Amino acid sequence: MTSIASRRPELPPQEGELQPGARRAQRLARAALGRHPIGMLFSAPYAFFIAVLFAYPLGLAVWISFHSYFFAAPGVSVPRPYVGLANYEAVLDDPAVRQAFLNIAIFLVINVPLTVMLSMLLATALNAVIPFRAFFRTSFFVPYVTASVATVGVWLFMFSSGGIASNALGPLAPHPSWLINQQWAMPTIAIYVTWKGLGIFILLYLAALQTVPKELYEAAEVDGASWWHRFRSVTVPGVRQVTTLVTLLAVITGANLFTEPYLLTGGGGPNGKSTSPVLQIYETGIEQNHPDFASALGVILVVGVLVIVGIQQLVQRRQA
Amino acid sequence: MTQILPAAPEAAAPPAAASVDVPEIEPRVPRSWWRLIVLVFGALLFLFPFYYMIVGSLQRTANTSLSGVIPWPANLTLHNYSQINAALDLGKALLNSAIFTGGVLFGTLVFGVLAGYALAQLHFRGRGLVFAFMLLLLMVPFQLLIIPLYVLIVRDYGLGDSYLGMIAPFAINSTAVFIFRQFFLHLPKELFDAARIDGASELRVLTRVALPLVRPAVLTAMLLTFIGPWNEFLWPLLITKQQSMQPLTVALANYISTVSGVATNPYGAVMAGAFVLAVPVVVLLIVFQRHFVSVNIGSAVKG
Amino acid sequence: MKSRIAVAAAAPLILGLLAACGGGGAVSANSAADAHGPISIWYSNNAQEVAWGEQMVASWNKLHPSEKVTGQQIPAAASSEEVIGAAITAGSEPCLIYNTAPAAVPTFEQQGGLVSLSSFPGGASYIEARSGPGASVYKSPDGQYYQMPWKSNPVMIFYNKKIFAKAGISTTNPPLSTYTQFLATSKKLVSSGAAKYAIYPDPSSDFFQAWYDFYPMYAAETGGTELVKNGKSTFNSTAGDAVAAFWQQMYAEGLAGKGSYTNDPFAAGTAAMAIVGPWAIATYQGKVNWGVVPVPTTAGSHGDQVPTFSDAKNIAMYASCKNRGTAWDFLKFSTSTTEDGKLLSMTGQMPMRQGIQQLYASYFTANPSYKEFAAEAAHTIEVPNVPNSIEDWQVFRDAWSKSVIFGQQSPDSALAGAATQINKLVASGATP
Repeated sequence: MTSIASRRPELPPQEGELQPGARRAQRLARAALGRHPIGMLFSAPYAFFIAVLFAYPLGLAVWISFHSYFFAAPGVSVPRPYVGLANYEAVLDDPAVRQAFLNIAIFLVINVPLTVMLSMLLATALNAVIPFRAFFRTSFFVPYVTASVATVGVWLFMFSSGGIASNALGPLAPHPSWLINQQWAMPTIAIYVTWKGLGIFILLYLAALQTVPKELYEAAEVDGASWWHRFRSVTVPGVRQVTTLVTLLAVITGANLFTEPYLLTGGGGPNGKSTSPVLQIYETGIEQNHPDFASALGVILVVGVLVIVGIQQLVQRRQA
Repeated sequence: MTQILPAAPEAAAPPAAASVDVPEIEPRVPRSWWRLIVLVFGALLFLFPFYYMIVGSLQRTANTSLSGVIPWPANLTLHNYSQINAALDLGKALLNSAIFTGGVLFGTLVFGVLAGYALAQLHFRGRGLVFAFMLLLLMVPFQLLIIPLYVLIVRDYGLGDSYLGMIAPFAINSTAVFIFRQFFLHLPKELFDAARIDGASELRVLTRVALPLVRPAVLTAMLLTFIGPWNEFLWPLLITKQQSMQPLTVALANYISTVSGVATNPYGAVMAGAFVLAVPVVVLLIVFQRHFVSVNIGSAVKG
Repeated sequence: MKSRIAVAAAAPLILGLLAACGGGGAVSANSAADAHGPISIWYSNNAQEVAWGEQMVASWNKLHPSEKVTGQQIPAAASSEEVIGAAITAGSEPCLIYNTAPAAVPTFEQQGGLVSLSSFPGGASYIEARSGPGASVYKSPDGQYYQMPWKSNPVMIFYNKKIFAKAGISTTNPPLSTYTQFLATSKKLVSSGAAKYAIYPDPSSDFFQAWYDFYPMYAAETGGTELVKNGKSTFNSTAGDAVAAFWQQMYAEGLAGKGSYTNDPFAAGTAAMAIVGPWAIATYQGKVNWGVVPVPTTAGSHGDQVPTFSDAKNIAMYASCKNRGTAWDFLKFSTSTTEDGKLLSMTGQMPMRQGIQQLYASYFTANPSYKEFAAEAAHTIEVPNVPNSIEDWQVFRDAWSKSVIFGQQSPDSALAGAATQINKLVASGATP
C-alpha cells in the first residue's frame, strides 16, 4: 500500500509534510479516531445531550422495569427488590393495556392510509400554477402549527353532543355522540390527528413531486395515458421514498399517541376505548406512582415500534 | 456553487403570481379546474375549525346548532376575551412560550446542524453509535422518561422553575438532526474535498459551503422543531410551579379547567383562549411562508 | 447497523445500573422541627380559597416579619396528586399544602414525603381538640397523624327549583328520599321536557369520580361504612349492589348523561339536579335558584342525619420543609377559630371543627341554606386510609364504568371482581 501511495504523482509536496514516522502516527490516530476527528467535536454537544438527557433516563427506566419500584422523597430509602419479569407479566395480563394496543391498531389503520392518500392528493393538486397557490399552501399548514390545546378546544366544541358535527349529520349522527361513543371515540381522534398533522406531510410530498422529471409525465401523456394512469405510474412511484418516510413518521407518532387522548377524552375515554399505551404509562407511572409497571409497558412499546420499523425497512429494501 | 443545486431564491414577486420555485410544468388550463376544486374543498376543511373558533369565541351564549356557524350580531360580545385577560397574564405567558421555543430552536440550529453535518460527512470514532442513539431517541415516547428526567433536572441539577430546565429535554430536536443529516448526505463529496484541499477548516466548510446549499431545508427542519416546544404541555406543567413561568399552553389548559365552570359561556371562553394561542403562530406562518417551498427538499427527502 | 442498535440498547442499561444509586439528601428531622424561618405554602385554585389564603398569609406576615410565608396556587393539572407526587420526588414541594386529598396521603406517606404532625408537642391533641372524635379516621395505620383534617364539603343533592316547578314537582318538599321516589321524579323531569337530564355526575374514569356518584349514596345506604374496612372491601354487598343497580337504571333510561363535559350541566340548566358539595354554590350564584336535600336511600332518608361523603381536603406538612417550627405554628394559626370562621364565610365550605353551627351562628342565620351542610358535616365518612388507595379507587371506577355506565357487564359481577382485586392491592401494600 505504501508504495502505491508514495508513487502518486499528482500530490505535490505540501509545506510541512510529515516525516514517515510521524505519518505512521497520524495513520494510527486516524484509525483510532477516524478520518475527521473534528467530527467528534462537532457532535459532542449532541452526544452529551443524548447521554445525559436521554440515555440515562432510558437506562433508569429499563432498570426500574425489572424491579419493584416507586418514587420516594430524596434521601428516603425504600426497598426496591429485583423482580425479574414480574412487571412485564403484569403488563401483558392487564386488559386495559391490551385495549390500549388495540386502540392504537385501530388508530393506525385509519390514520396512516388516510394521511398518505390525502397528503399525496393535495400535494399533487398543489403542484401547479394555480391562482392563490400560496393561500392554499398556508391554509393546509395552519392546523399543524397551532398548539394542540387550542385546536382541541374547538374540536371538543364541534364534536360535543349537540355540537355542529352531530347537527350537520342530523339523524345519521352517532348516538351517543362521537367522543363518548365506544365505537367512534378512537376514529374521531384518528381523524383529528390526521387533520392536524397533514400540513407537514403535504410539504414533504410537494417537495418530492417537484423533483419528478416532467419528461416522464409528457411521455406518459404521449402514450395516451389518462391522468389517473399518469398519477399511478409516474407520480406514485416517483414519490415512493417520501411515502416510506411519511408512513414511518405516522406510525411512530401514532404508537406514541398521548396528547390527543389525554385532552380529547381524558382518562381513557368511554370504557377505555380511546386510551393509548402512552396514556397508560402516564396514568400508572405518574398518577398512581407505579413506575415499574409503566416502564415495563414503555419498553414493550418501544420494542414493538422497533419491530414495525424493522419490518418496514425490510419490505422497502426488498422492493428497491 | 449554485449550478450544482439550484438554491431557492428569495421570492421577490408577489406570492400569488407564478414564483420561480415552481418547475416548468406548463399550466394545463382544463386540468386546473379539478385542482382548484380539490384545493378549495381541502382548504375549507382545514380552515373551518379556525373560523368556527373565532365565531365561537365571540358568542355571548354558546350556540352549538348549525345556525351558530354564522356570527349573528345579536349574539356577539368581546366578553370572553376580557375574561381571559383578567384571568391570565397573556403577555407573560406568550413570552415564556417564546423563550422556551426560541431556546429549543437555538439549540437545534447550532448543535443539531453541527451534529447532522458530522454524522453525514465526517468520519470519526463513535459516529455509528451516535447515529444509532439518535434513531432510538426518535422512537421512544417522552412520557416514559418524564419522571427520571424530572428528578434529574429538578432534584439533581436544581433547575426547577427555570427556563433552562424547561428547555433541557428538548434542547436538540433529533428529528431535525435526522433531516439535517439527510440533506448533508446528498451534497456531493467533491464539493467538500475541494474546499478541504483549498485549506478550509471543517467549520468553514460547513458554514461557507454546506449550509448555504441547504438553507431552505434548514428552515423546514426549524419549522418541524418549532412545533414541539410550542405545543408542549406536560413538561412545563411539571417543571414550573410559579404561574409567572408558565408558557401559554399550560396557562390556557389551566384556564380551561378552572374557568369553564364559572364563565358565562364556558365554550366561548375556551375558544377565546384557543384563538389567542393560535394567532401568533398563524401570523408568523403567513409572514414566512414563502421561505418553505424549495426544490431542494425533494432530493434530500429521497434519501 | 443492527449491531450498533444493540450497543445503543445495551449502553443505557449500563448507565442505568450506575444511575440506580440515586442521590440527594433528606432534611434532618430533628434539627428541622424547631427551626423557624420563611416557608412556602400551596393552596387550591378555587377562587374563594385563594382569596382566603391570601388574606391569611398577609395577616401572618404582618405579625411575623422574620418568618415570611409565601403562598401560591397549586400548579394546575388533571389531579393535584400528580403534581404533589412529582414535587415530593424532586424535593421541590412546599412546607404545607392546603389541598391534600386524604386518598393521596397513603401514597405520599409511602414515598416518605410527609412529616408526622403527631411528632410535634401537643400535635395530636390539637387536632383532636379542634375536630373531635371524628379526627381519628385520618390517622394512619401506625396511629400517627400525617394530615390535619381541615375542611369538608358534604355531598348532597342540589335541585333546580325553576326546572322542578316547570315539571310540576314540589320545590319545597320534592320527593327525593327513596330510590323509587328519586327515579320517578327523574323520569318526570326528563319526560316533561323540563330538563335534558335529571342529574349528571361526571362519568369520566378518573379514580376520584366515584366519590360523586357511588360513595355518597353508599355512605347513606350503609349508615356510614367506608369502602374498605379491616383490609377487606365492603361494597360487594346488598347495599353496594343496590346503589349500583340504582345508578345503572339512571344511565340505562337516559336520566343521567354518559358523556364528559367542560361546563357544569347544573349551572347551564341541562341537568335538573347535581350531586355535589357546598363549594359549588359559588358557581351557581345568579344562575340557578337551588334547593338542597340529602342523598336518597332505599328505605328513605332520615332528615339531615343521612351519612354522606365528606369530600374533605386536608393540610399536610411535607418532608422537604426546613423550617418545621414555623410551619407548625402557621398551621395552628390558619386553623384557629378566627381563620376557620373566615374560611366559612369566604368560601362556604365547612371547617372540620366541632360545633360550627354554634360558633358561627351569625353566619348561619344570614345564610340559612348552608345550615343543611353544617348539620351533614357531622355525619360524613372518609375514604379509607389504606395502601395503594388511589389504585384501589381506579379499580373500582373502571368496574363501575364498565358495568353501571356502559352496561357491558352486570354490576354485581363487576363489583365482585373489583372487590377481589382491591383486597389483593390492600394486602400487598400493608406493612408486615
